[in-house]
Amino acid sequence: MSDSSCYILDNGAYTAKVGFSTLEPKIVPNCIMKAKSERRRPFIGSQIDECRDASGLFYILPFQKGFLINWDTQKTVWDYMFSKECCPVNFNEVPLIITEPLFNFSSIQEAMTEIFFEEYECQTLLRTNATDLAEYKHRKGNNNECTLVVDSGYSFTYIVPYIKGKKHKEGIIRIDIGGKVLTNHLKEIISYRQLNVLDETYVINQAKEDSCFVSQDFMKDMEIAKGRGEKNTIVRDYVLPDYTSLRRGYLRAPLQPQEELEQQTLRLNNERFTIPELLFHPSDVGIPQMGIPEAIMHSINSCPEDHMESLLANIVLYGGNTLFPGFRDRVYSDVRSFALDHFDVNVTLADSPLTYAWEGGKEIFRDSDFYSYCITREEYEEEGKALAFERFDI
Amino acid sequence: MSARESGRVKDGGKTRVLDDAARKRRARKAVEALEQDNFHEDPHADLVMSKKIPKFADSNEKPTRKKKARSADYYKMRFRKSFAQLVEEDANFRPEPPNYLSAQAPPSKFPERHFCAICGFLSKYTCIPCGARYCSVRCLGTHLDTRCLKWTA
Ligand SMILES: [Zn+2]
Ligand SMILES: [Zn+2]
Repeated sequence: MSDSSCYILDNGAYTAKVGFSTLEPKIVPNCIMKAKSERRRPFIGSQIDECRDASGLFYILPFQKGFLINWDTQKTVWDYMFSKECCPVNFNEVPLIITEPLFNFSSIQEAMTEIFFEEYECQTLLRTNATDLAEYKHRKGNNNECTLVVDSGYSFTYIVPYIKGKKHKEGIIRIDIGGKVLTNHLKEIISYRQLNVLDETYVINQAKEDSCFVSQDFMKDMEIAKGRGEKNTIVRDYVLPDYTSLRRGYLRAPLQPQEELEQQTLRLNNERFTIPELLFHPSDVGIPQMGIPEAIMHSINSCPEDHMESLLANIVLYGGNTLFPGFRDRVYSDVRSFALDHFDVNVTLADSPLTYAWEGGKEIFRDSDFYSYCITREEYEEEGKALAFERFDI
Repeated sequence: MSARESGRVKDGGKTRVLDDAARKRRARKAVEALEQDNFHEDPHADLVMSKKIPKFADSNEKPTRKKKARSADYYKMRFRKSFAQLVEEDANFRPEPPNYLSAQAPPSKFPERHFCAICGFLSKYTCIPCGARYCSVRCLGTHLDTRCLKWTA
């Protein structure tokens, strides 16, 4: 049995990456949104592009704390994704690769197996972790023995060591900081310091994406941000979208007193780097956990000693938060400073950090053993859900 | 700094000081707030949005579905479990580490840093009534005027 393509769904808590292995993936918001301006309809997935005014957008997400909890919402978004409006598919004809969170709960795993075989009538199913696909992709490209995968997403950041293609579960670390916490924190401090934006998750999330960066020297940047006039090279204004002449905000030099602008602006100063800094110091917002570089070392130290060298030399970063300018360099310099001098440290930012795991799905589909990783409908009908627990190491 | 501060203490009558439990409760609420998906209520919660959703694979020539698709609500009922229930169940499914709970990052070895609740720069001082951090007389003034004990967790 061999198919010419498969359908890959990297089912993230904020965006799903979806499409046939022969085509480019689509990035689809994995949620239903309601707009204040639009009483007649909800917006499912990418339908939000049709929304004229995204202020005060209300989110209904299938995921809670990084796990699939709201199945009605998920089913609605999936039905949309699999329809001709988005990325139509017949699972009778193509295998499906779908991702789930690490340590996914057993009832959710059962539900996944059930819904894809019984509702969506899958012929061939591979349920896996996004980090497994990312590791596979890195290993295919580099032929390395071990990989340390860092997936920094919406709900949390996972650090996962792989030894010879297998995840070393004792070394897996979850930091409870992801894009959602960063956006919420930015919303709170802006709301306290200048303008109430608590209802504007969508807009402030964009402001975060457009404005924030990872500091390479936190104390120095704090000093710069304290400076007045031209000495402060960090302070900027973020022009908010008004949805008449401006659909997406942008960052610009601070407005001069005599300048006038149609749109409202936010003054962003130390916020620009103290927000992403939470990934490196969760304790800055009272979350008593290690930051990413420290957790990388902790994870590597919990692996067998003879693999440390290979792990340090193969650190791969992907996920939305890795897009902040300076993210890779900061991870590198912190890990470099923590690791023993005689070890090489290599930190790679994935080529396309949002779709890296999806691309890994493409690679694994080409594996000559691909079908041995999957479950077919016949197998499911014969052996039931227990087989899925045996075969899929989630 | 004292003139301003003592004035406040006076008009506050007896100075109220948050106890440790209340401070912890505030801190926990602050962390929980970071977890939320929305701060506001559903703007159209009263409306029944059209349930019409695109039909599965209704696009191409051949009819692909043999049976009637089940509704989203069916799966809501079928798989209904709260996050707390799932964590509890996991104690049976994966009783030994590594599991969801054991994977949580341990505390950092580095000292905590403190930031001014008002301006976000590093802070050296702690507000006596509520325990918030501040960096300067100016920021303390803003804090006492707008936050401090004005809302309690
Ligand atoms: Zn201050
Ligand atoms: Zn106070």
